[in-house]
Amino acid sequence: MIRNYFKIAWRSLIKEKTFAGINIVGLSVAFASAVLLGMYSIYELSYDNFHQSDRIYQSYSTYEVPSGRQILVSQPIPFAEALKQEVPGIEQIARYNAGSEVIISEGKQFRFSVAFTDPHFFKIFDFPVSRGDSEALGKPNEIALTQETAQTIFGKEEAVGKTISMQLDGEEKPFLVTSVLKNIPQNSSLGFDIAADFTQQSSSAYRDLKDDWGHANHEVYIKLEPGVSVANFEKASRAFSNSHNQGFIEQMKKEGVSPDENGQFIQERLLPLKDIHLAKEKDGMLMADRLFPNLLLGIAILIIFIASVNFINMSIARNFQRIREIGMRKTLGAGKGQLFFQFWGESLLVFLFSALLGLGIARLLLKEFQSLFRTSASLDMIITPQGVLFLLLIVLLVSLIAGGYPAFSASRIETISALKGRLSRDGNNQLRDTLIVFQFAIAILLISGTVVLYSQLEYLQNKDLGFNKQEVISIPMNGKKEDARVIQQLRNELGKTPGIESITAANGVLGLGLDGGRSSSAMSFQFEGRTVETNLLMVEYDYPETIGLELVAGRSFDRSRPADSLAVIINENMAQQLNQEKIIGTPLQMDDTGAEKFTVIGVVKDYNFQDLDQAIEPISLFLKPHWNMRYIYVKVRNANSAAILKTIEKAWKKIEPEAEFQGSYLNENIDRILKREKNMITMITSGSIVAITLSCMGLFAMSLIVAAQRKKEIGIRKVVGAGIGTVTMLLTRDFVKLVLVAFVIATPVAWYFSSEWLQNYPYRVSLSLWMFLAAGLIALIIAVFTISFKTIHAAVQNPVKSLKTE
Amino acid sequence: MIKITNLEKYYKTEEVKTIALNKLSFEVKEGEFAAIMGPSGCGKSTLLNILGMLDDPDGGSYLFNGIEVANFNERKRANLRKHNIGFVFQSFNLIDELTVFENVELPLIYTGVKPADRKARVDEVLEKMQIMHRRKHFPQQLSGGQQQRVAVARAVVNNPKVILADEPTGNLDSSNGNEVMDLLTELNEAGTTIIMVTHSEHDAKFSHRIIRMLDGQKVTENVLV
Repeated sequence: MIRNYFKIAWRSLIKEKTFAGINIVGLSVAFASAVLLGMYSIYELSYDNFHQSDRIYQSYSTYEVPSGRQILVSQPIPFAEALKQEVPGIEQIARYNAGSEVIISEGKQFRFSVAFTDPHFFKIFDFPVSRGDSEALGKPNEIALTQETAQTIFGKEEAVGKTISMQLDGEEKPFLVTSVLKNIPQNSSLGFDIAADFTQQSSSAYRDLKDDWGHANHEVYIKLEPGVSVANFEKASRAFSNSHNQGFIEQMKKEGVSPDENGQFIQERLLPLKDIHLAKEKDGMLMADRLFPNLLLGIAILIIFIASVNFINMSIARNFQRIREIGMRKTLGAGKGQLFFQFWGESLLVFLFSALLGLGIARLLLKEFQSLFRTSASLDMIITPQGVLFLLLIVLLVSLIAGGYPAFSASRIETISALKGRLSRDGNNQLRDTLIVFQFAIAILLISGTVVLYSQLEYLQNKDLGFNKQEVISIPMNGKKEDARVIQQLRNELGKTPGIESITAANGVLGLGLDGGRSSSAMSFQFEGRTVETNLLMVEYDYPETIGLELVAGRSFDRSRPADSLAVIINENMAQQLNQEKIIGTPLQMDDTGAEKFTVIGVVKDYNFQDLDQAIEPISLFLKPHWNMRYIYVKVRNANSAAILKTIEKAWKKIEPEAEFQGSYLNENIDRILKREKNMITMITSGSIVAITLSCMGLFAMSLIVAAQRKKEIGIRKVVGAGIGTVTMLLTRDFVKLVLVAFVIATPVAWYFSSEWLQNYPYRVSLSLWMFLAAGLIALIIAVFTISFKTIHAAVQNPVKSLKTE
Repeated sequence: MIKITNLEKYYKTEEVKTIALNKLSFEVKEGEFAAIMGPSGCGKSTLLNILGMLDDPDGGSYLFNGIEVANFNERKRANLRKHNIGFVFQSFNLIDELTVFENVELPLIYTGVKPADRKARVDEVLEKMQIMHRRKHFPQQLSGGQQQRVAVARAVVNNPKVILADEPTGNLDSSNGNEVMDLLTELNEAGTTIIMVTHSEHDAKFSHRIIRMLDGQKVTENVLV
């Protein structure tokens, strides 16, 4: 019997090539898109799931300050040890500070990401050792390399037992390689090439701050004891926070700041490890924002839905063509169950075939997908025994829903009517129309999403950020020479080069440089009895001029004034915080010792020095030419000139021959921080293209069917005088109505979601009706164009022909 | 074999009630060949549907082989039908996607006959109908006469007690029509009861008895043998 089912299924497929083709192409494209989107989404959600324990957390603190609640993930150096001793429930705790360092081995120089951490780190996390000492970082001078790093440094030679040097505090410090770790999985939010002991960092990062509770510079990870809940831990930590921050708490009380709901000014909190990758600030807490992966899963489901709708509609339509077969089978004794399984079996065949094809397409497109979305997500994550079983179940389920209804309706057809080829279409047409409406509503929803996202990205990209994006190049200082010397040499080298206007440096980057590094520092200090918070940036001479900041008051740093080493330039927001009638000349006592008193010499217009989804905060620029600068900035005369970039690279290579040149224009840096938005746009645009294409394929098939069903009617209308235009309109009108209904349904939903999403951005486009009208219009034009092929064809037919066949 | 008494069937639309069968009674004995004639709309096909248990009557009695089936539900009717009744239609109603062999095999599949037995049975019937050489062809590749022979083969493959034929020669030319009538006669002579609805006086003459109907009622009954 089953053989019979499959035989007839196969033969019907062959016979109905157009419909089978539309179904298989549609479903396989849908499955391919769903597999890729699902894979990406699962990958995003799978971060850090290779660690066995679910008791691992990142520590962070919330501070109640005059401007509201502040979140800090960085902790001071004595914090971890004190927390472990004073707060019960901690099984292990480890400090972690990762940064880029210069490594020297046998005269060769490398730059690797080094994680300075405590030995307990490897007891908390599952980063297994592949060779050497199974207890990594047993002694302070021991280090662990990942397999990849070991290979890069030593090639095929054994790394364990070798000594390498790290450039720290201007010296080459030797370390003994005792362990080689298995490579860090791609979906790890902690990534490093080398692990070293926490105490071995540069003095400015460790020794100078060893007992300093006021300076936070690293992350802390905690593994709780079994049975200890986050709530209990947080509650138990309150006494700890209060005892170590008395000064701060007193000050906040004095300034009239209200504590949180538990009466705390400082609260230690825990962020689950698996939430770190997607963590975002929400309601004064850190929590995983799963919007993007969930959105992608949603799009995947919607695409499958659209393709399934095509399948349902075409299957029901095909039931009409197979009505006599259904009647005859019933006459010969086929039961409802048998008929159901026969028709469902046919659907299953199509679905299984399409799913396989879809998987193949996904595999073919994987490389492009990975590079387009800059992801390491791969199909290996899906093609596991459980994964395949899950996929199979999904295919079964979808085929049961999509193939089940037509099969059910076929099995319910009355035998006599079926034998006579008569069937009421009303109920089925309603279902068909409803499904088409939903299909187009989804397509319009996605198209409007694309339009809104695109407008927002355009807005962010073209927004005046308050600095010169096009004519400034940032260069990460990744060599081993002293920063001040590199800057000076570069100035000497390029100072007279035509096309180069000025060169400066700072310890922070605007946007995201090619080195991928970002850092920021902030502080708070007392000013006229109030606490004032500011971001800090150490800069070289000419910084405001080079990056194009606009001075609204005062002056810039001046080489001829030695006193400028204690000068500070602030932005408008900071000026507002200080709230002085005459801001220029305002003295700022920025540390507790009172050793250094700074003076405000200039105010620059607010500029976006942070991510574009953040409002501009206060910032203070300090002139510190001998600071550990991280980035050089070069102002050039011609926007985005590649030639001048080459000239700079040449000069760089002369100064730092071993270090990679990673110069890039600031607008490229800004584009890099908009990666998430761009990814979202690409995904949603691809989703909408697939959605509208599939919807139109379905619509096209429906137009074929409707034209066939109404052949006689068209013939009669033409005989009694209807013209081609009238008939085309007649056939088109019904479909246009459906698209219009879809537009009415989709627009409020799209409006709601778009405005919710835009709330994430302090700088955003305002929604306007044209965005949604454009989406509706695009859908309508594509729909009318699609069906016009068949409607016009049906309308120009000779009526005699259509009446004769009746 | 078949006895109907005061059989009634109505069709109702919103405003009109049409009487298709009006207290119709007759009997067809086992081994008999009965023809039912009458103008279009006189209720012949309705009657045949009820006799074939594809439809149920609104009133009266229908005894099939001594069992009252008038109030059988669909499942029971289907079960009785697939074991006892074979159908031959004017438009053949062969399934286009199946070969001749597979079309004839279908009733055996639905009655749960094992594959090996099915093959033997189908081959035997195809042989008898002289279409063995066409067993792998699809319906569209056959002439009308051949298609109807396949339909007859399909109707008899289950050894039904009764064959119901609805205008079996309606779509055929006279020579093919005669061939089909000869086939039915042979089957009847072998013991199968046949009830045939026809417009053709010529075909009706192959039967033993002609029942003439008008407006859902029996008008005359002529015994030919």
